[in-house]
Amino acid sequence: MAQIKIFGYADKISVKPGDTIQFHVSADGTSTAEAHLVRLIHGDEHPHGPGFIEEEIDCVANGTWQVEKQFTQVGAFLEATDPDRKLALDGSITLCAFIWPTWPDVGHRQCLLGRWDNDRNHGYGLGINPSGRLEFWVGCGNEIDYLQAELPLQKQAWYFVAATFDARSGRATLYQEGVVNRYNSLLSKVAPVEYRSHVSEMFRFRQNNLPDTPFLVAGSRDWHALRGHFVSQLYCGKIDRCGVFDRALAREELDAIRAGGKPPSDGMVAYWDTTKGYTDRGIGDLVIDIGPNQLDAKGYNRPVRAQTGYNWNGRNDCFRLAPHEYGGIEFHADAMIDSNWKATKTLELPETLRSGAYAMRVRGGDGEGLAEEYIVFFVRPRTPTARIALLFSTATYLAYANERFATDGQIVQPMAGQPPTISEVDIEIYENPEFGAGCYDTHADGAGVCYTSYRRPMVNMRPKYRIAAFDLPWNFPADLSILAWLEHKGYEYDVLTDEDVHLEGVAAMAPYACILNSTHPEYHSERMLDAHEDYIAGGGRFICMGANSFCCNVAFRDDEPWIMECRKTGGHWIAWAARPGEYYLATTGQMGGIWTGFQRWGQKLVGNTFAGEGFAHSQPYRRMPDSYDPALAWITEGIEGEIIGDFGLGNGGAAGIEIDCYKLGFGTPPNTKIIASSGGHPDNYIAHDEEGAHAHQGFSGTHNYILRADMVYFEAPNNGAVFATGSIAFGSALPVNGFENNVSQLLSNVVDAFIRPGPLSGSNTTRKSTAGLERVAP
Amino acid sequence: MLPLEYDRSEDRDIIVRDRFDGLRREFLRTLVNPEVIEEHRQLPLGQHSERLERLLIYFRQRPLEQRYAVRAIEPFRRYQVVKLSGRRGVPPRLIDDAIYTSANDARHGLFLRCIRDLLET
Repeated sequence: MAQIKIFGYADKISVKPGDTIQFHVSADGTSTAEAHLVRLIHGDEHPHGPGFIEEEIDCVANGTWQVEKQFTQVGAFLEATDPDRKLALDGSITLCAFIWPTWPDVGHRQCLLGRWDNDRNHGYGLGINPSGRLEFWVGCGNEIDYLQAELPLQKQAWYFVAATFDARSGRATLYQEGVVNRYNSLLSKVAPVEYRSHVSEMFRFRQNNLPDTPFLVAGSRDWHALRGHFVSQLYCGKIDRCGVFDRALAREELDAIRAGGKPPSDGMVAYWDTTKGYTDRGIGDLVIDIGPNQLDAKGYNRPVRAQTGYNWNGRNDCFRLAPHEYGGIEFHADAMIDSNWKATKTLELPETLRSGAYAMRVRGGDGEGLAEEYIVFFVRPRTPTARIALLFSTATYLAYANERFATDGQIVQPMAGQPPTISEVDIEIYENPEFGAGCYDTHADGAGVCYTSYRRPMVNMRPKYRIAAFDLPWNFPADLSILAWLEHKGYEYDVLTDEDVHLEGVAAMAPYACILNSTHPEYHSERMLDAHEDYIAGGGRFICMGANSFCCNVAFRDDEPWIMECRKTGGHWIAWAARPGEYYLATTGQMGGIWTGFQRWGQKLVGNTFAGEGFAHSQPYRRMPDSYDPALAWITEGIEGEIIGDFGLGNGGAAGIEIDCYKLGFGTPPNTKIIASSGGHPDNYIAHDEEGAHAHQGFSGTHNYILRADMVYFEAPNNGAVFATGSIAFGSALPVNGFENNVSQLLSNVVDAFIRPGPLSGSNTTRKSTAGLERVAP
Repeated sequence: MLPLEYDRSEDRDIIVRDRFDGLRREFLRTLVNPEVIEEHRQLPLGQHSERLERLLIYFRQRPLEQRYAVRAIEPFRRYQVVKLSGRRGVPPRLIDDAIYTSANDARHGLFLRCIRDLLET
């Protein structure tokens, strides 16, 4: 009997009571599964804490679901819109493109462009064959004729390639010329590498086009008995301007296109100008055909736009400055941004549902291991009523979605200070590219993954999951420890997500007197960052519960908030580095990377941000002199002694994993107080490089006082205030000893003060009347 | 000197890497003693003596296909030691039948395996 495996996702991550949500489930080894709606309360199974806690919720969807195996189309490609079959060319033809292959020697055929049915061998195509050579082929069902270039393609080199076919004579020719300049390719002209190949041959056959074959760029149509039509022969690399003609172009005409000339209109069926349609605010998925038939091509699995093109010359670093130099569209054979599974169940959420973190629990067979899935989503109130909101860092969850760095990341073990601890589900996603990767991974062709989405199973946005690299609950399951603390203490709270803050701005935050965020609020769009700043300046009281806070800049489209773009650049603590000239987000046109690059350090918002990380061992905080200031005594009221948090489910201390510090030079508000601070972290804690212009011995924990978590507090205008823990491990210390400990006590003191109407105890009232700042919080 | 037949890789960096590795291993072998092993047994994670830290940094920097990992069969209860494949999509393989009842015990079992590899090759 086959092993039962259940995976699923929801179409929405943030909903309200009465909203409709769809669940998409795929199952192996079973045709039925038991589903039950649950409210999630605690997600860390560490034996020193309360363990996993869920509450079953009555709901019409509870019960037995019919489930089936569902398939996922992996790989990015373009499909031309060709309802009148203009591209079903049965006679003479020319195909041409600028290409920059990243993996020509992958060992299987890659289709660059063509109208080719890979199952039935009909049509025509230009591609790269298993030996890494350019190849043109035509097929008529029973027979295929091929013509290949004399030498393999070089990786990461720009070429102009073309195939021409004279149907009358049967002569096929291949045209391959390098268009390498000083900037655009891996090698310079000092490398004695041959790029050129021109070959010709008489074909025995003519192509025969099937009526329904799509014209694809970077793939070709295929078919499988169980899944039906799909796309195979996926290409890895960039394609710049490309076209199709219904005649065999002469060598001189191809030379002229290669030299940057306008392609001839005579015989042009389609010519996709990959630089058309760019705006100052971003680039969409549609690639414009400037030919007579307007056969625009639509991207699937989000081919990467805003990439340098064949004529990039190093002067400009962004498509907004020189769109004509940014015609590169990058394709990856393992790109995946939407599983596109059929909906298994549609549910109208009960009107009585309280705000919280929920999941549809789906179990097949015995419900053990991979036979159990939690499809997580968040429910906001129809109308906010609580004074507290818990803000879940869904952008950070997206960045880390299905990361595989424990098995693929060279840097992970040195960084983590430990070997990885791998679970069954880690192995499952490692073996199956259908799960898609996260922004900490690279594609198999070596490029960084810059798109991530929640419309696919996210195995690490589940309760109970422990990240393999660090053997810790990470992000969502760790954040449930904060939710469990709110439950235990009896606070009334609502939940919010990053998506809500991105889409609604400060309006999503304004109803709340106090907002707590997550253990790891790392990724923020510009709108999210603005909303936080306006909330705090407008009198909101904000508790930054974690660390590595407000560091990375990401982007979403308003109409597809489930997909996030992230370009890694700046600093040396990044999982991959965007290539030169490719630092800007195609989604918005803004530079990617870290907010430090925009003079928007996290310190400007919450008083502290990233000092460094180490993962294997946590420390306690020690109280600093500011905590003994009588005006601030309320923060540490009821706490005996100097040490805070010498315990925790996150490596035995409340300060650790990733840690943030105070820094006036990075914009920490000058009235900020340091209540407590850690230090003396092990030497696998390394200061990140914004802390010093040049790496040197002594960057590590026992040598460097900068490696510390600062617990900071400051008052903001309009009675606002910020308390920031500076530590990912802080949240995981809360549940220790049944939530009765000095970390929990301290957080209670702060929350109680923050939700109390009126000025804060010991506040400096002169700071309350900052001109021009409007109060937004209640 | 390395033998001529060693020059088989298109990436000459590997030759230099392996030469450096040989020298490094020769030195690291001199650091292995019962005290280091006992120190690791008592505290697999955290701040270590320089002697132990040098060994651990080396083990964590090995090429992926030479690295080990802990496999959680049942978190907090049962663990094994596996070896990474170093090839994308190919899962880690089990190296023996030993079952450890804590993650730290498994980390120490993994460390002993690394020490054995260091001393035997």
